[in-house]
Amino acid sequence: MKRNTVVLFVVLFLLAAFGWAGWANWESRKQAAARAAAMNAPADLVMPGSEGDLPPTIAPLINKPAPNFTLEDVHGKKVSLDAYKGKAVLINFWATWCGPCKIETPWLVDLRNQYAAKGFEILAVSEDDLDPGDKQKLKEETQQISSFAQQMHMDYPVLLGGDALSQPYGGLDSLPTSFFVDRSGKVVAAQVGLTSKDEIEGNIRKALGGQS
Amino acid sequence: MLLRRKAWLAVPALLAAGLASAQTKFPWQSDGASHAAKAASVVYLFPEQVEVTAGKPSTVQMHFRVAQGLHINSHTPKDSYLIPTVFSIPPGAVQLKGASYPEGAEFTLPVDPSTKLSVYTGEFVITAQILAQRGNHLAQGALHYQACDNNACMPPKTIPVVMDVVGK
Repeated sequence: MKRNTVVLFVVLFLLAAFGWAGWANWESRKQAAARAAAMNAPADLVMPGSEGDLPPTIAPLINKPAPNFTLEDVHGKKVSLDAYKGKAVLINFWATWCGPCKIETPWLVDLRNQYAAKGFEILAVSEDDLDPGDKQKLKEETQQISSFAQQMHMDYPVLLGGDALSQPYGGLDSLPTSFFVDRSGKVVAAQVGLTSKDEIEGNIRKALGGQS
Repeated sequence: MLLRRKAWLAVPALLAAGLASAQTKFPWQSDGASHAAKAASVVYLFPEQVEVTAGKPSTVQMHFRVAQGLHINSHTPKDSYLIPTVFSIPPGAVQLKGASYPEGAEFTLPVDPSTKLSVYTGEFVITAQILAQRGNHLAQGALHYQACDNNACMPPKTIPVVMDVVGK
């Protein structure tokens, strides 16, 4: 009787152990399949739409004071965001190598011309790599950014060294990224990736305080 | 009786063998590599090891994959402002004598059909000419690229391309 109990216990133990191994294996395969599906899913750098859809690193900046910065423009002049208090500002992070940035730039140029008289300005912050340790190379890089800006008729401040703003502005993992700052210096909207001229204009109006 | 005791000792061994044969990844076992791959827009696929004749230029075909939905500029983008895809190996026991890149596929962004881009998508192969010294060497190459989707671009990136080169 005692022997039968021991045998029964061992059999039950073995069944439970193999059952658990099977479950763990099934769970592991399920996770592997989910990972494979995630890898094969179309990558999407942009989460378009409302503010609620903004990347989690950028969404917290909405309705908060825009982090201040002072950067040099392509002519070597220091430009500070604080100096634009009282104006609505679009801080546009872009790069010469960014195709979608090149598409939206003519829209920005048009909108700046349209709304400048109402107190609107654009600060274009370049994310192009710079070599501050190599004067000759830095000069060439600055010249390249300046030439690009001229070709694109960017008649607003074009600032260098945007890398320094990555952390305060939510990582800047994809370009273009724009922040719309109202006259009091508060971020009222943000856009990541290429949207539309209409959407940009809507956010400019928001930054201007509902003026059209 | 002694034999019976020994038989009982075999039970845990059998159990362990059974669990091992299930090739299970248990809940506490992490898979760091796959997390890294998920985040990368380009991954190096193979070869991990090549055998070449020491002191003679040899050809190695390196396979890469661009994540679905993304594209990277080819080695010869159509605009001088765009960043080309470039493979390199730092000087050492394995030298890169040259590299042949595939032609880029013509691509246009839906919002701007007039601008033609030259890009790589999906899997692509770079053929490298290498010169290795005799012995086993870990060639620590790198692929520099810049990736975009239809609406946004990521900053340029350099990924490691590590290959075990056996020069015989």
